[in-house]
Amino acid sequence: MDPQGQTTSLQRLQNVEKRIVKVLELAGGVMDELASPLGPRKDVVQNHCLEFMQLIKDIQVALRDEIKSACEYRPFEKCDYGSRIANEICYQKVEFVMSQLDAMKQTIDEYHAAV
Amino acid sequence: MDDAMSLQLSLDKLPIKRLESIEENGFERFPSDVDNEEKRLSLIRRIDFAWAVEKDEERKKQKKSSKEPSTPWQWQGMIENLQLAHQELSVIIDLINTVEANDAVTVASMTRPKLLPNEALSDLAVSAATKLQCYRQVGKYFKQSAKAFEQQVAREARFYGALIRLQQNWKVKRQRQPAIGPGNEGFTFDLFDNTYDQAAIIRSSLMSTVRVNHDAAGMLAINVSPNSCHSLQFGFVGTQSDDTQGKSNENKSDSEHHLGETGKESLSDEGCVKKTNSLLREVHKAIFNEQVFDLVNREAFNTSTVVSVTGIRENYLQLSLGQRTSVYLSLVSSGQDHTRVEGELTNNVENAILPFESSDGMKHDAKWNTIKKKGQFSNSTCYEIYIQQIYHELIFGRGSEKPTSSGSRLSGAQAKDGSSLLSHFFMSLAHRIFSTKVLAELENVVCKVPYLQLISNPTWHSRGSSWTLFMEVPRSILRGSQIKTVEYCEKNTIKRQFWTKVVVNDDCIIVKAEGSPNVAGLFKGKSEETHSINKYNCNLADLGVVILQQVASQIMNWLHQEALMVGIKVNRDFLSLSFELEQGETLGLVANVDPEDVEGGISWWLVMEDSFAEEQKLHINATNGASEYRKFLGHLSLDLLYATLMDFVSLCSGGSGQ
Repeated sequence: MDPQGQTTSLQRLQNVEKRIVKVLELAGGVMDELASPLGPRKDVVQNHCLEFMQLIKDIQVALRDEIKSACEYRPFEKCDYGSRIANEICYQKVEFVMSQLDAMKQTIDEYHAAV
Repeated sequence: MDDAMSLQLSLDKLPIKRLESIEENGFERFPSDVDNEEKRLSLIRRIDFAWAVEKDEERKKQKKSSKEPSTPWQWQGMIENLQLAHQELSVIIDLINTVEANDAVTVASMTRPKLLPNEALSDLAVSAATKLQCYRQVGKYFKQSAKAFEQQVAREARFYGALIRLQQNWKVKRQRQPAIGPGNEGFTFDLFDNTYDQAAIIRSSLMSTVRVNHDAAGMLAINVSPNSCHSLQFGFVGTQSDDTQGKSNENKSDSEHHLGETGKESLSDEGCVKKTNSLLREVHKAIFNEQVFDLVNREAFNTSTVVSVTGIRENYLQLSLGQRTSVYLSLVSSGQDHTRVEGELTNNVENAILPFESSDGMKHDAKWNTIKKKGQFSNSTCYEIYIQQIYHELIFGRGSEKPTSSGSRLSGAQAKDGSSLLSHFFMSLAHRIFSTKVLAELENVVCKVPYLQLISNPTWHSRGSSWTLFMEVPRSILRGSQIKTVEYCEKNTIKRQFWTKVVVNDDCIIVKAEGSPNVAGLFKGKSEETHSINKYNCNLADLGVVILQQVASQIMNWLHQEALMVGIKVNRDFLSLSFELEQGETLGLVANVDPEDVEGGISWWLVMEDSFAEEQKLHINATNGASEYRKFLGHLSLDLLYATLMDFVSLCSGGSGQ
């Protein structure tokens, strides 16, 4: 998925989940406020409710966007397993060549040391 | 007691259905059935409490009438109240008895007692307090769910974040099964490649589907035992190769380092993903190795010409090339080393299966054995890699297009046919072993002759090798007479660079070299065509001698040209130059080649011959006749040879009076 702006799709969905958590907390806060023995403070309740509605709106917007761009997951139309194995083989070749070069260098060093 | 309890009877109508009405079309209408409840209700309603009320009224009247004359009794009111209460209670008791007898009773109506103000207030307070309590509970519930949800979100974020990163590299499949357990969403990694060439694959590995589990912290984890991952090992039977041991130890330490690192300590998410990725890589490689092993097994039993199967065990295949070379291919899990484990067994097998090998043959090749062993160690890894590469193309079909530079080791026609791959591989192996011997021989020769250089020519073909032996006469040796006018330079300068080419194809050696000058070519003027190219086959044992002879003849060519340049008449035989002196004596310079000679390959002799003698060839080993005088000059370098030649020239020219 191409990242849009700063965040990837996964991060945006994670943000949605965080907002849901916040929404629940707000609901709990409102309930606590209503349950207070001195009676609910209007401004606090109002603020909470405003924030609640705002968050719900954000969640809906985000989910609508994501649903539009979500596609069905087709498992690997272009499979790269073949080139992956080729890569592993090349890695082995490189390792082998490096060991040969190390041996050559060692021989040269020994020669110089002996001379 | 005075009032006689009169019993009254009332008769109900028979509970038969009596017609209520009938319509014109003959439809009869009956009264609707009465419920049991309604029946009882009606029965209760028919209880006539009038008698009790009348009795009371009568009693009141009597009492009142009796009270009037006398002063009212001070407890009268209380007695009346109590009596009223008693009557109410008796009604209630009757009701209760009826109810106890399991007759359902419906209360027709009840007047609510009017609440006192304090009761009303306390009711209100209780309901308000209950409501507040409910609110508090709901609030607590919301907050708890928020916390739990937050934790779950965090766990799942880690899991799905890791899964998405791994999904970029590996195929992920999902099976929506009914919940087997908490946290099992049915994801699997599918390591089977559906671009496999179907004809080439026999079995799909069990390992190719890896389940995705959750570990204790809710993070993604896969359950792969490292011992189930096999790697391909190729080796030569009967040799203790330190390299493979070193390699397997290295691999083991790597994987242990991996596992130890991730064992008990908590890993960062990054580390977890990397570890999972490397495990998946291992499994993927192991699947490929198994495919290669299967294919080799299949082909080994098909090809009967190049290679024969001499031993087979689980995950182990031993093949013989028939030249006292026995190789094995096996699948080893990490940490297992076949050369060490199978050491004794393979020796026995080798001895048992190859009884026709005589011990004499072994002795002769004692020299070769050391060379072979030294060459084999470094090569067994590269054969492993090579066999993986040549099967990679077969397994993955034409789908994976590789750039031809890396794939050009296989000529195109051979790559397509699976059955010839193994024979190609073993022919390459045989060629490599043979060319190692050839190279050793060439090195031996070149070491002995200081003015000879050995150059390797890469052929980019696994079954061909080529070397050039190059000799150049340094300019510093030559006299100033070589400096001519520029336009005639190419024609008149003597050739100073000589090459001899050795080409090995499979196990066939071809030696190509410039030979004697070609007269026709001289007129053309191009230096490549002034000399004819000798080309001939050769076998390994004679290679040294052939090379040295070729080089010596090239030196002879050069000396001949130099002599001609100076103007001396000189005869050239194969490896000798002869100058005529006065009185028919001939002075000759003869080359002797001997690859076994420790001090040098080419040695020079001065031979003086008397022409009055019988025809004598300037033979190296000729010992007949006192008329021949030979002096050993030794192993001369090129400048000394040139100086010797010039001495001859001055001798000859001084003698002939020029």
